[in-house]
Amino acid sequence: MALAASLLEVSASDAELVQRVRLGDLDAYGLLMTRYRLRFGRYAFHLLGNESDAEEALQDAFTRAYRSLARCREPERFAAWLFRILVNCCRTTGSRRGRENARRAPIEAAGAVGVAHPAERAMYREEIGRALAGLPAEQREAFLLKYVEELSYEEMVGLTGVGESALKMRVMRACARLRELLGDHAD
Amino acid sequence: MTMRIDEFPDADADEFGRRLGSELQAPVPLSDRVEQRVLASLRQPGPAGRTERRPRHRQILAGAALAAGVALVFGLGVLTGRRTAPGAPAEPALAASQPDVRVVEFALRIAADSAVTLVGDFNDWDPRATPLRPASDGLWTVTLPLRPGRYRYTFIVDGTRWRRDPAAPRALEDDFGTPTSVITVASR
Repeated sequence: MALAASLLEVSASDAELVQRVRLGDLDAYGLLMTRYRLRFGRYAFHLLGNESDAEEALQDAFTRAYRSLARCREPERFAAWLFRILVNCCRTTGSRRGRENARRAPIEAAGAVGVAHPAERAMYREEIGRALAGLPAEQREAFLLKYVEELSYEEMVGLTGVGESALKMRVMRACARLRELLGDHAD
Repeated sequence: MTMRIDEFPDADADEFGRRLGSELQAPVPLSDRVEQRVLASLRQPGPAGRTERRPRHRQILAGAALAAGVALVFGLGVLTGRRTAPGAPAEPALAASQPDVRVVEFALRIAADSAVTLVGDFNDWDPRATPLRPASDGLWTVTLPLRPGRYRYTFIVDGTRWRRDPAAPRALEDDFGTPTSVITVASR
């Protein structure tokens, strides 16, 4: 019975869980947080460059979202609503940290890193992380939204308030700089 | 190297971006302590586990904000009257009995075809939450009850154009290229 109940909870839709939270079921909010911690934590981690800041931004976003749940007009689109809050929390955390501490030291141009061997993948991801840290914040944000979160430019415009042309320019510059830093010469 | 926006996305750069993006799509193993902290905070007594955050930046007096044309602070409490089940999330209850609650007027003078809305930390950047009302001569206004604190905000004109408040300080978060203003509501 307990297993069946647990499966039911896991398979509950976002809208169902939001409704339960609104009725006072805090455990349902725990399920929503678990559902989106890894997916949205990935964005926060890559934007902010470390686990501690990512957790802080995520915690802030979850808390704000809970307190504002009455304003979530489309519970079936809870994820998109939460992501908008997270993007802004990441901006706040990133700006604060950018002034308090140096981020991970940007790398100088490195030699191309092979990724054919699975054992090298983790190292390659670390290289990418360091290269991302070398980008201006707005380019890093645009790159992650475009290629990691796979948003359309239209969605990015709505999320960031930046015009489409400016976003394309940011993504273009981010790609060019990352290629320099990672020593990737596709041509 | 001079880059032109009309040349993007070129196939090479786009393919490179997608390849890098796919590497970064692997899960990042953040622990469940995030949920634990949030749940612990929400279970604390108080209005929906509200967590107070101290403003990190220098506060300005509400009077100074008024003088700067940032906002008009009327200093009136507002009773929202929302009903929620015990323990359910609620928007921060802004009651007249809470002396710190201020009513702030936001205003923007701009030629808009259809609508001006206000988005910010106080409404989770929801573009539908806080529409401004047109007054005269292209002036759009709205009032909001706010607790003391620092809030980032901006206006959205006709659903697409983001406009910073020209009379308010620029937010530090402008690092991300979004035109954002900041207001600090002082305690009484």
